[in-house]
Amino acid sequence: MKIKKFFSSQKFIVFVWVLGIAVIWEIFAFIVAATKRTPVNVLPHLWQIIEAFFSDKKVSGKMTMAELIGTACQETLLRAAIGFAIGTVLGYLLALLMNLSRIVEKIAFPYLMLIQMIPILGMAPIILSITGDINTSRIVIAAILTFYPVSANTLAGFKAVEQEKCELMYSYASSRFQLYTKTLIPSCIPYFFTGLKISAPMAITASILVDTLQGGNGLGCMLSQSLKGGMTRLVFWDIVLISAIIGILSYQVMGLIEKLICPYKRTKKAD
Amino acid sequence: MDERTEIMLDNIGMTYKTNDGRDVTALTSVTLDIRKGEFISLLGPSGCGKTTLLRIIADLLTPTQGNISVGGETPRQARLKQRYGIVFQSAVLYDWRTVRKNVMLPLEIMHVPKEERIDRADKMLELVGLSDFANHFPGQLSGGMQQRVGIARALAIRPEILLMDEPFSALDEFTREKLHDDLLRIWRKTNKTVVFVTHNISEAVYLSDRVCVLSPHPGRLSAVVDIDLPRPRTAQLKSTPEFTALVAKVRSSFEGV
Ligand SMILES: Nc1ncnc2c1ncn2[C@@H]1O[C@H](COP(=O)(O)OP(=O)(O)O)[C@@H](O)[C@H]1O
Ligand SMILES: [Mg+2]
Repeated sequence: MKIKKFFSSQKFIVFVWVLGIAVIWEIFAFIVAATKRTPVNVLPHLWQIIEAFFSDKKVSGKMTMAELIGTACQETLLRAAIGFAIGTVLGYLLALLMNLSRIVEKIAFPYLMLIQMIPILGMAPIILSITGDINTSRIVIAAILTFYPVSANTLAGFKAVEQEKCELMYSYASSRFQLYTKTLIPSCIPYFFTGLKISAPMAITASILVDTLQGGNGLGCMLSQSLKGGMTRLVFWDIVLISAIIGILSYQVMGLIEKLICPYKRTKKAD
Repeated sequence: MDERTEIMLDNIGMTYKTNDGRDVTALTSVTLDIRKGEFISLLGPSGCGKTTLLRIIADLLTPTQGNISVGGETPRQARLKQRYGIVFQSAVLYDWRTVRKNVMLPLEIMHVPKEERIDRADKMLELVGLSDFANHFPGQLSGGMQQRVGIARALAIRPEILLMDEPFSALDEFTREKLHDDLLRIWRKTNKTVVFVTHNISEAVYLSDRVCVLSPHPGRLSAVVDIDLPRPRTAQLKSTPEFTALVAKVRSSFEGV
């Protein structure tokens, strides 16, 4: 029974997935190593990527791989975080407004959908010409990508509140403000976090992608320099790996914050 | 109008407009006086307009016909004075609040000071027998316990009128019978006027002073049966010939079901 439980547990499933991906990666890496002339450019072994990250060899100027990626991460993540925060606040406020007023909802919702459909790299030049500054553009784009999932999910959360809850509030002769603070806003927290969990990795991805458009010290800048041959190709691979890890972590962090805010979710039914 | 009348329904009718523009007549010409402190049931098959009538009393719906007064006022005035306690079929608890905080919610809306809020919530929880579960979350309680919390919450604002819409119909037979006796005990203790919606004949007879029989198509009041069984009532009553006779009488007063 205990063994069965372990094999169906979340941890085990994650373990199997990671192992599976690693095995497939390595199979292809061996094939590539045997057939291509510069295997590192196509698909290096996982251990080469990890080894490169911890090695003391300077990859750019005086910096080792870890130092290089560390500073690049700081820049990119800071921009992603600022954009994410702005997008979250604005997205939440718009959801609130849309729920308060049907007219706002009818006008704003189609635009929300539209923004969602424009590819980031198509949006970037437009934003750049408006803001005139690449770093501001990177923040703005992270914000735009965060905005839609947060707004749409929060609005769905407001709509999903049981009608009876609102009727109870009505029967207590509550004010509209109380209806929101006591019932609607707390009810939609899980939906809000669904939005955050979707948009956190998106904000980071967007930030890295827009980095590649122009120079600077961000992750994406290093990534494209490495691809262009300005640095060893392993910089590229290390950044890919690290970005994936950061993306997953950002999702996990949102889940963790949600659990801290909603302790009732952790309580189990007492039979 | 009688001195003791609490809710006066005069020729009440309700016609809904559906989204596709059709009219649905849910209730026609319901005339009924509900006395202060009375336990009255609205009994009928589903679709006969019980919920509609209850919602009209609660000021959640405005009737398309007729007049209604609650203690000489409109339902809206009565609602604004917080004279209604409402219990729905599902407990409608706030799963992020503890049991105690659920009961305190209406008191927060009314700006009752914190000390008093806690005090009153705890008294209500004692009344429904849930003192030991004050710090539990609703998700940790059984269906019957959740419904008790709902009742405690409805009573916390000290309403004069308790409106209950099939509050026990989702519960199993044993839990329901237990809650019947608890509800009667609470009712005697607190002297509320209770309007109790149900589709269970025996439940209506066991609990009520009077049973209003509603018939469908269109929803209308087809009979009001006085239940002159002695109080306090206990489960043994259900096997007496008087009880059985009243159940039969109520059953025979349905039209066109
Ligand atoms: N919002 C509504 N719009 C249209 N028809 C409705 C609405 N609410 C109830 N009805 C109709 O009114 C009738 C009575 O409904 P209801 O009062 O819920 O009955 P009960 O509670 O006795 O089951 C039903 O035929 C139902 O379909
Ligand atoms: Mg109903």
